[in-house]
Amino acid sequence: MIASVPALGRRLAPHALPLAMLVIIIAFAVSEPAFLKPDNLIGIVRQVAITGIMAVGMTFVIMTGGIDLSVGPVLALSGVIALFSLDAGVPLPLSIVAGLSVGLVVGLLNGFIVARLELPPIIVTLAMLSMVRGSALLIGGPDLHPIRGHEAYAAIGSGDFLGLPISVHLFAAVTVLMVLVQKLTPLGLLVAAIGENERAARLSGHRTRLTKMALYAICGVGAAIAGIVQSSQVHTASAVYGEFGTELDVIASVVLGGTSLMGGNGSIARTILGVMFLGIINNGMNILNVPIDIQLIAKGVIIAVSLALSEWRA
Amino acid sequence: MTTPLIRGRGLGRIYGALTALADADFEVMPGEVRGLVGSNGAGKSTLVKILTGAVEPTSGTVEIMGEPVKLGDPSEMIRRGVACIYQHSNLAPAMSVMDNVFLGRQPVGRFGRIDKKKLEADTRALMAKHGMAIDPLATVGNLPTVKQKEVEILKALALEARVLLMDEPTGWLSAADVARLHQTIRTLRASGVAIVYISHMLDEIFSVCDTVTVMRDGRVIAECGIAEVRRARLVELMVGEKLARDSAAAASVARRPGGTGEIRLAVRDLSKKGVFRDISFDLHAGEILCLTGLIGSKRTELMRVIFGADRADGGSMTVAGQTVDFHSPGAAMAAGIGFVPEDRHRDGLMLGLSMTDNLIMSTIPQVCRSIFLDRSRVAATAKRLVADLAIQPPDVNKPARLFSGGNQQKILVGKWLNLGPKILILDEPTVGVDVGAKAEIYGILRAQRDAGAAILVVSSDLEEVTTVADRIAVMVSGRMVGIHDADAIDRSRLIEEIGGVA
Repeated sequence: MIASVPALGRRLAPHALPLAMLVIIIAFAVSEPAFLKPDNLIGIVRQVAITGIMAVGMTFVIMTGGIDLSVGPVLALSGVIALFSLDAGVPLPLSIVAGLSVGLVVGLLNGFIVARLELPPIIVTLAMLSMVRGSALLIGGPDLHPIRGHEAYAAIGSGDFLGLPISVHLFAAVTVLMVLVQKLTPLGLLVAAIGENERAARLSGHRTRLTKMALYAICGVGAAIAGIVQSSQVHTASAVYGEFGTELDVIASVVLGGTSLMGGNGSIARTILGVMFLGIINNGMNILNVPIDIQLIAKGVIIAVSLALSEWRA
Repeated sequence: MTTPLIRGRGLGRIYGALTALADADFEVMPGEVRGLVGSNGAGKSTLVKILTGAVEPTSGTVEIMGEPVKLGDPSEMIRRGVACIYQHSNLAPAMSVMDNVFLGRQPVGRFGRIDKKKLEADTRALMAKHGMAIDPLATVGNLPTVKQKEVEILKALALEARVLLMDEPTGWLSAADVARLHQTIRTLRASGVAIVYISHMLDEIFSVCDTVTVMRDGRVIAECGIAEVRRARLVELMVGEKLARDSAAAASVARRPGGTGEIRLAVRDLSKKGVFRDISFDLHAGEILCLTGLIGSKRTELMRVIFGADRADGGSMTVAGQTVDFHSPGAAMAAGIGFVPEDRHRDGLMLGLSMTDNLIMSTIPQVCRSIFLDRSRVAATAKRLVADLAIQPPDVNKPARLFSGGNQQKILVGKWLNLGPKILILDEPTVGVDVGAKAEIYGILRAQRDAGAAILVVSSDLEEVTTVADRIAVMVSGRMVGIHDADAIDRSRLIEEIGGVA
């Protein structure tokens, strides 16, 4: 039955990512049983929380055919601003708000230029990447700034609650919130509509530009949350965090989750699958002591192969 | 008796449970222009695809000049002289006319370079032979659409095509260009080429064809000389008797120029620099005003301004007596205006989203409960609209992409009906829509009119204009040149006015 092989492929293609994950999990579990220990599994989620929060925010942007390359420096700047605020004696909640507002402002700026001035998102956010990194270095300098005496802040990244890291709770909360937004609110439908056909969405009376601005703002705030989690997790803030490659991991997660870079269909829930997939690969290779150079090459190959598999759907 | 140039016998094509074509006989003589008509899904495109070799039939045979040919092989059909001109251009727009005509077969000179002189001479010779005159060096993308069609025809003739299949060749042409294209077809006919002319436009069938083949439900149901059939009978054959009766009845419903007399939309001296100027007209509640004119007369641009999608430079508008200045489509919608754009794929539908999502797209607040979409209200709205519009199959979760042109157009109209529009603007509402769906769309428009809506239809299709309009407005080059009660102007005067003959 040669004819049934492609037919089987077509049936399995939509599930390519979960299947590939299963294969990799089994492979890792067989070579290193410690992989499946609950502590390690929780560790994986904790490791991906930062990328995950950013990927959730990025999904809507990519669904509209856009992209945000500026998430790395936003992560750095928000951590620096939050820490400097704390050091200046600003109360914790307000310091967090200050950190988050970095993401909000950068996101709104990105959104304004992309939606209002109709410039290509890849160039706009690339320019923004440079400007925000520069601003972060201007404010924070090249040094690491240790977080001392702010126990409550440090707990965000390193504390536990109900037996799970607080960062995992945060990741879950952001995810659930955005899944609900996508599934239950008009915004979710509008994002899909803009991705499918922006002209038609506008001619249907929707404020497409304002919506796109809001989506970039959401993405920026996601990166800022990630920055606060990151700095509190490693007990330092630095203008050089979120180094080159951060945004690529985020984008790869979204795209592995089945969202097309051309815009259109996409799903927050599936983005989480993409995030976990990358996290499992990283973790498994660490456990197996694969050298970092080989890790990077292997990761690239796995991303390319998984994408090729999911393209079979078409 | 001469042998037919091409003759199909007992052609059939079955896709799984669906019979797309059953036992079809089809033949065209040299020098014959044969019209091929039928609703969407009647089997025309399957038949054409068999003749071009794109589809292999499950039964039947095809002979060309009496010789049987191998089926399901496009290159074999091209070699035997069968060519197809599609609705959308297959030319390379950035290349010259002569390069397009001889694409991939340009004469080669020394060092493998293209021999431009010979190429130009060959192109000129070919044009002279078929009575066409286009500059061989012109860039195709800069030519008017009708000339581009001629280049496509030339390209087919350069391959020594003896059978030309033309699928909706006039979809984007103005009335004058249609006449020009028909002249070209008559010249070809005189030189013995057999032409199959597929069109929804019955006017064109009667104007250019010698014979007509009618298809319905995958079968050839009638063949006759064009002189032997009347238009009403042809429509009846195409859509079946019941639909034809409904359509005829609808057309004879009394016109209502001026509607209820209430001025719903008043446009005064509306201008947009370099586009249109000094446009003034009234649209009444309870009437259908058709705005016609040549392609390029800026009707669509005017509609976009009225709907708030573009801004005017001067002039004013009032809706139900209130002065308005819409800065966005959303603002126009808030005033009760709906707009069905001309290009349903580019501007109208979200093709990848379900029919339901498309139907509620412009009335999302109505199907929300606080900040959430109310799934039950969404489903109820979709179900009601699908029933009102008679969309078949009523498969609300299917992506819009998978519906026929007629159904897609109904979805677009339907999404505005949910708004309960005070003013409904439709730009070319039935382009690429079959006769049956056309009649249904006209029925929907009349029902809206009778319910008191003011309807503004932009149309280049005179058949449509004279069928559906209560009043007719004509635009020429960005100016409005006249508004008439539909019964007070005959077709020939209308054509003169559209052409700018004052």
